[in-house]
Amino acid sequence: MALRLRDLATCFEGVVPSIIATAAADGTPNISYLSHVVMIDDDHVGLSNQFFTQTSRNLCDNPQATILIVDGLRGAQVRLEASFVETVDHGPLFDTVATQLNASSAQVGMAGIMRLRGVDIFRVSRIELCPSPVQAPIEPVPDETWLSLCAALATAIADLREMEAIVDAALDGLCDRLGYESAFILLGDHTSRVLTTVGSRGYARSGIGSEVPFGEGIIGAAALDRRIVKVSDMSRVRRYSAAVEASSQDENRTKAVALPGRLDTLSQIAVPMVAAGGLQGILAVESRARLAFSSRDEAALTIIARHIATALALSEMLSREPQDIDKPPLLRTSSDKMFKVVHHTFDDSVFIDGEYMIKGVAGRLLLHMLELYRREGRTSFTNREIRLSKDLRLPDIKDNLETRLLLLRRRLEDKASPLQLRRIGRGRFSLEFSGVPLLERR
Amino acid sequence: MLLNPELAGFITSPVMIIIGTRDDRNKPEIGRCVGSRVVPDTASVEVIISAWQWRRTVDNLLVNGQAAITFVRPSDYACYQVKGRARIRMATASDMDLSQAYIAAVTAALHEQGVLPAMSAVWLTNREAVVAQLSVETVSIKTPGQRAGTVLGVDHGFAAP
Repeated sequence: MALRLRDLATCFEGVVPSIIATAAADGTPNISYLSHVVMIDDDHVGLSNQFFTQTSRNLCDNPQATILIVDGLRGAQVRLEASFVETVDHGPLFDTVATQLNASSAQVGMAGIMRLRGVDIFRVSRIELCPSPVQAPIEPVPDETWLSLCAALATAIADLREMEAIVDAALDGLCDRLGYESAFILLGDHTSRVLTTVGSRGYARSGIGSEVPFGEGIIGAAALDRRIVKVSDMSRVRRYSAAVEASSQDENRTKAVALPGRLDTLSQIAVPMVAAGGLQGILAVESRARLAFSSRDEAALTIIARHIATALALSEMLSREPQDIDKPPLLRTSSDKMFKVVHHTFDDSVFIDGEYMIKGVAGRLLLHMLELYRREGRTSFTNREIRLSKDLRLPDIKDNLETRLLLLRRRLEDKASPLQLRRIGRGRFSLEFSGVPLLERR
Repeated sequence: MLLNPELAGFITSPVMIIIGTRDDRNKPEIGRCVGSRVVPDTASVEVIISAWQWRRTVDNLLVNGQAAITFVRPSDYACYQVKGRARIRMATASDMDLSQAYIAAVTAALHEQGVLPAMSAVWLTNREAVVAQLSVETVSIKTPGQRAGTVLGVDHGFAAP
């Protein structure tokens, strides 16, 4: 089997120095030792450039190069035919190589001598194992790429602190980077013992706002037991799904949003998102293939789900202290068109122009803000004032206000309502209107 | 004198020897050498190469002879590079003896640096050995640091002072 760069992980560890040969325009060859060679993708490698000025000069005139890398485990020599593409002197790749170089230079007593000038990027056109007088097989590192993808997604999630961005980055990463067909995230409310969908990818209908009681179905069971629950052939539960799908058209009557889903889903896995021992919600991933989720998927999704949970828990905590406004609140739009907001007090459900929006605590929150707007003309609010509000008398939202606001914001957005909620900074948000609201209580 | 006694001593000690060549399309090539000597009273060095392991290198030397040879001491990265034109000849019994002694010495030197003989055995073979005799035109320091790349001497066709 032909060698690929990804099979050569043990050659990129810097155990045995790599070597580059170049040739000047007049044909004079040059040899330089390399302290670091990194794999960028299956076609490209990056070389640390500290001193080799002759190499750089040669590459300007003649981009052809041969690079010899050595397996740090058994010594096999691999010859790369390559051509110089460009030098990068900033950015994530540069920073990664610079950090490695500083650390390893200090180790060999050359701290400060090996200053990185740039990372030279080469396209590799041919990979060849050099003949060896003794057996020296290169053993590809299994699943190295898959693990790297998981690490990249965990890193992307850990870099965020807004709940909405965390949910989006996780879902985008699962579908775009890790290649899952469809996924959705539900956040749990321990008072009402209900999970609510706050984001989804890969479905015709977002299902944002749909609810699953703890203990019900695959998702509810995973929440109750805090264990992965997996179904590898869902054909038997299809009829149930079809019924759910049919009822999704009728949310104005039932005041219930249907879960995101597809009739042809065959495999589903529900992974608990747990942080500091507490359940934050459920990560649900689906596929049209039978037996789509192996133990490898279970491991990867567990890692990702735990990272999501930690990031969400931290985001909720950070939102308690409002920061300066980083986006100015938009003024009310000039439209004079009226829209009707009806609040049903018995279940706190809210309808806008006859369309069901939301119910329960999120409905109460929306009404509270609209009342403040009517009385004081205010459109911007902080999480802290909502949390401390005596009017609301909502002891149960203290711990997950940010989650409720996220759900409310997402649902209004999903329904393209004339009333929208916008985040304008950490712990701050504002109402935006396209028209004039008419409030009615029933 | 391009190859002063100090330099001559260095390049014949247990150092790693790498040769760079290029083909008729100016594509560069890398090969390892397994033994070297300085030819007395000339500005020439000879290195031993396995044609079995480094076929392209030997082909390039046969076609155009342009070469760069780097000598690196494993313990401290002290490194010199010589450049010039080389001619190929078959290895003699004395070349093979030299090569065997070199392989034994450099295997020990690498072992001292933590490289196991099982690993260095992959790199150090004199199977189908040939000898490249290089007329040295330039010598430069390649040890990492500010002086890297400094040219120590250029042969203008007469003995430098």
